[in-house]
Amino acid sequence: MSGWRGSKFALVVHPDLSVLSQYQTLLASGGFTTVVARDLPTALLAITQHFFDVAVVSSQLSEAGDGWPLAGVLHLVFPQSYIGVLAPGTDLLTLQSAINSGVQDVYEITQTPQNVVSALLAATNNPATLNPKKNPPDAPQVH
Amino acid sequence: MQSFSPELKMLRKPSLLIVDDEPNVLLTLKLVLEEDGYQISTAASYAEAEKLIRKPCPFDAILTDLWMEKEDIGLELARSASKLRPRPIIVIFTGFGSTGNARAALGVPVDYFALKPLDVDELKRVLNRLVVTNAADRTVRL
Repeated sequence: MSGWRGSKFALVVHPDLSVLSQYQTLLASGGFTTVVARDLPTALLAITQHFFDVAVVSSQLSEAGDGWPLAGVLHLVFPQSYIGVLAPGTDLLTLQSAINSGVQDVYEITQTPQNVVSALLAATNNPATLNPKKNPPDAPQVH
Repeated sequence: MQSFSPELKMLRKPSLLIVDDEPNVLLTLKLVLEEDGYQISTAASYAEAEKLIRKPCPFDAILTDLWMEKEDIGLELARSASKLRPRPIIVIFTGFGSTGNARAALGVPVDYFALKPLDVDELKRVLNRLVVTNAADRTVRL
């Protein structure tokens, strides 16, 4: 299996169809097969069906803040994957939610999908920043 | 007393390093988490903690205050701890949370960021989950 790598999958969860469409186009040009979901049940179903290398989740789906638990679930299921959350602002409590949900970054909802995808692609092209919470099996012991 | 999941019961006692320059906080957390089955070491400063984490016996988790000798010095400890292998769970708690230090903690990254006054039950629940998950992850990799 060494060296094998299947298609890269991205999950985008956002209530706005036009936003989903923009992300799908941008991520496709970055080499991702993108699955989109507008609500929690659809997103949870997608999680059972694919391995996602990256996910972009709106913090507000049907109600304010309900995207955070989904981000937490994504981190638990795919601990080595990149998860970004789109939030109305990046105040202290939002950043605390991000840390405690295990996401890698928070983007203000006013950010363009182009900016978010650029940042996401930069992060995923650098394995050192992709899963820094995990212990690489061959990492040197530092004491 | 909170009990660990069966997976964690099979392992050695998880070891925690608690770092805070306030003796009362240090003692309270030590007593509460010892009761939960953890083996506790404590440090009253960043400098003391840095020495302890360089010793060969690794900690399963490091819980540190943010402001001690200097503002946000807990972030320095978190950065050092994040380079250890195996990487311990890193928890920061603070009464001086700001967007600046929270953004920096996200970048380390730390596993849990708690604001004082601490909700001890929440901390115990989260710590249990994080330690069990991390231990399971290490076991899978053996």
